Amino acid sequence: MMDLLVKALLDGDQAQAIIEVRKLREAGVQRRQIITGGVEAAMTQLDAKCTVEQFNLLEIMLCGRAATGVMKVLYPLGALPPQTKAAVVIGTLEGDVHDLGKNIFKMVLTAKGYRVVDCGKDCSLERLIDAVEQEAPVAAGISGLITTIIPQVLQMKDKMAERGLGHIKVIAGGAALKQATAESLKVDFIAQSAFDGLHYLDQIVGVRHE
Amino acid sequence: MNSLERIKAALNFKQPDRVPVIAQVFGHAAILAGVALGDYARNGELLARCQLQALQFYGYDAVFALMDANVETEATGSILTYRTDQYPVVKSYVLADGTDLNTLLLPNPWQAGRMPELLKAVRILRQEVGDSVLVVGCVLGPMTLATQLLGIEAALYLAIDEPEQFAHLLGFATKIAVRFGVAQIEAGAHLPMVFEPSASPDVIPAPFYREFVLPSLNQVFTAFKQAGSAANWLHTAGPVTPILHLYPQARVDLANIDFCVDPLDAMQALPQTCLNGNIKPLAYIEAAPEEIAAESSRLLKLFANRGGFILSSGYEIPPESKPENIAAMVTAARQEK
Repeated sequence: MMDLLVKALLDGDQAQAIIEVRKLREAGVQRRQIITGGVEAAMTQLDAKCTVEQFNLLEIMLCGRAATGVMKVLYPLGALPPQTKAAVVIGTLEGDVHDLGKNIFKMVLTAKGYRVVDCGKDCSLERLIDAVEQEAPVAAGISGLITTIIPQVLQMKDKMAERGLGHIKVIAGGAALKQATAESLKVDFIAQSAFDGLHYLDQIVGVRHE
Repeated sequence: MNSLERIKAALNFKQPDRVPVIAQVFGHAAILAGVALGDYARNGELLARCQLQALQFYGYDAVFALMDANVETEATGSILTYRTDQYPVVKSYVLADGTDLNTLLLPNPWQAGRMPELLKAVRILRQEVGDSVLVVGCVLGPMTLATQLLGIEAALYLAIDEPEQFAHLLGFATKIAVRFGVAQIEAGAHLPMVFEPSASPDVIPAPFYREFVLPSLNQVFTAFKQAGSAANWLHTAGPVTPILHLYPQARVDLANIDFCVDPLDAMQALPQTCLNGNIKPLAYIEAAPEEIAAESSRLLKLFANRGGFILSSGYEIPPESKPENIAAMVTAARQEK
């Protein structure tokens, strides 16, 4: 039965995914099992597929939308949220309103068990760092499609350090930022894709758990 | 040969006196002239003056009447936010609040939003350079404009959930592109470049491109050719290799290739189509002039036997780029033997 859910998610078929998850719940399958064996399994398969040439944002969006629908069935408004691996604060920096990449990163991370705090687009560095201070995330993710946000990126780690947050990793992604190196942008990691960023986070979380 | 003749030779795989060089200088022309980007994007006369100054400064082969990617959506009813030192951005998309597409009017290029200012820029540029330098206008491709009318996520979901509605939207966007591009040709542009980043294979899969985007681009380019466009220039960002072989079906004469595309793959996919590219845009900010010169030289050698090449950046040269880096690319083309 779980296979049918995974297939519906990979097909990006939200309606079918919701039917499958309701069937699973009626059969007594635990929510945690559905997330691990269904939602996370589908994302893992999509991740493997996206390493080859067929990678495109639309496919991830559709799978992500279906996964979001499943999560809403499992945890309707008011229900206790699922236990998460860690928190991640994300945002698209001030002057940039292109947030498709950030939104996809959010979907992928949520489906893989992270709690994502989304600061939105056109977000000032101060507001992003405030959220980092408040949420104690494992990392902060910043995205940018245009090069004019680079001066803000260059200040990110220093400004975080000034507030005692220098230990928190900074990941950068998006069309403009991924042309650069982590060293030149003064960040910890450049994510070439949403899944690339996920792998890096999994690595950090894994290290922290050891 | 003058610049226009040189570019036409490259487009036709004939031997130019040297390889043409088109620096994709848009907002950088404002920075170079000490003009605020927000003003540059709103004033056709100012834009043209900055472009002419940059042309004189660098000595490359083309000028651009290009404001930003939001001219058409604003002219159709979207609301923009203007800032002094940045390109304007969309505050609210015209169709995002559920507005019925059937109630939208096709914008008149001579009256709507900033379209008349862009046409003014075209007219001034052509008056000033005549047929010595290529005057390039710009329209958004139908796919990109569809995403700019509704918002990219909503437009992509619409394409999957309600393909007939999406096709309707794409048809509307195609009409805008045709009308605006033909007006640019009438105003004096040698060609309107079609800017189509949302059709990149890292956004949509190739079968989607073939089914939806290709027929729309064909319509646009057919209309441009009929109106007298010197060539059909398609500019799609990102890893376009999987769709390059489809370009001839859209009547593309000149294909921009981004920095992440292997030029050898592009040559193989498009043996009879002129290519332009593909120096990494960020390099104009971060690299040293020697590195730009070396990369230019590598590309010039790579295309030496094939021809059909225009040295260029892979995408827009960022506004804040170092002038010495742009100059290094132009010098490399001028000094090429």
